[in-house]
Amino acid sequence: MKLKTVFNHRDELIAYLRETFPDAAARSPEIADTRGGRKAAEAALAQIKPERYAATRNHLKGAVTRLAAYLRHGVLTLAEARRAVLQRGGVKAEKLVTEFAWRDYWQRVYAQIGDGIWKDRESLKTGWRPTDYAEKLPDDIAQGTTGLRCMDGFADELRQTGYLHNHARMWLAAYVIHWRRVRWQAGAAWFLEHLLDGDPASNNLSWQWVASTFAVKPYYFNRDNLEQFTDGVYCRACQRYRNGCPFEATYDELQTRLFPRASERVSNR
Amino acid sequence: MKDVLIWIHGDCLNPHSPALLAHPDAPRVFVFDEEVLAHYRLSLKRIAFMYECLLEIPRVEIRKGQVVAELAEAAREQGCTRIVTVESIAPRFAQLRAKLQREHNLPVEVLPLEPFAELSQTEQARIELKRFSRYWNPIKAKALALNQSFDW
Repeated sequence: MKLKTVFNHRDELIAYLRETFPDAAARSPEIADTRGGRKAAEAALAQIKPERYAATRNHLKGAVTRLAAYLRHGVLTLAEARRAVLQRGGVKAEKLVTEFAWRDYWQRVYAQIGDGIWKDRESLKTGWRPTDYAEKLPDDIAQGTTGLRCMDGFADELRQTGYLHNHARMWLAAYVIHWRRVRWQAGAAWFLEHLLDGDPASNNLSWQWVASTFAVKPYYFNRDNLEQFTDGVYCRACQRYRNGCPFEATYDELQTRLFPRASERVSNR
Repeated sequence: MKDVLIWIHGDCLNPHSPALLAHPDAPRVFVFDEEVLAHYRLSLKRIAFMYECLLEIPRVEIRKGQVVAELAEAAREQGCTRIVTVESIAPRFAQLRAKLQREHNLPVEVLPLEPFAELSQTEQARIELKRFSRYWNPIKAKALALNQSFDW
């Protein structure tokens, strides 16, 4: 079936897409502000400040590049992006080029194992068996109604914007897998529904890294860490800050709580 | 050449794709793969993003349905006897490509994309994928150098 290619403005395009893709529109009707296209990609590339990126990338307000969606769909190539930031930043672009290399790495693994990216690459290092994890993503996580301001905020942002900061992805994935003990595949599929940069390789293999099936230990975090890199914006508004925040603990305490059966120390720090 | 149909796929929504540069006058078609949309439950915002990327590709024809059947129909309509596209590592890409040849006698030529960093065969051979560090350490110096001409 041939589709329309001429639209007078964005609203007209969006109205047309709602009619043309009714199943998608019924499931998740949100439209992101992020624009697709080569022009938008080049504009994003022109704004990158490699040195600022390296210094602030872990912070939710950091100078991140927002290039991933364009790279995922080949609107820009990784080679072009690499050249552009090296020309601008020289040695100061090392951190950013290393992050680009992660994408190349995930792609190479995907080329090698194909749909194997949906299976555990290695055994879990959490002390839990694969069958100890729930198959399905709980509704309260997807709907953003857990009562945890941070996780609910991330779920809303994912649904509304199709984007999450990398650190927020890591926290949310760790919460899903380790605190709620849900299979990483359920979380990975949820992200792919929504992320504009949703790429099976980068996404799934990163979930496996958090889960510990593609890493020597599981990734987890505590409240101090989240508070630090968010300026506490979620914590200040959270009813559970003084009333059962599941992230408020030392790494040693969390290890005992989350991975009581782990044979070896799996501490992050 | 009037016999070429360019197949644009979701891994290369780029107006400067090697396929478009090699055949600037050829008809070009993208198909929203209904099986993929349903399987991944892709949200409307993901579709809209891709659609906006496509609209910046001059003279693109956008379709939805079964990819192989839609491409075969487009080829028939345009009088094309072969397809040119760019590489994708997605397993589905290889399946669709084989099916185009098998069921519709449409050969698919796949053009390479520029790699992240130009590596010699020796460098390629040193890469291991077990962990990121084993991939990155052997190629790091090359990838961080702007001028790649020091490969002697």
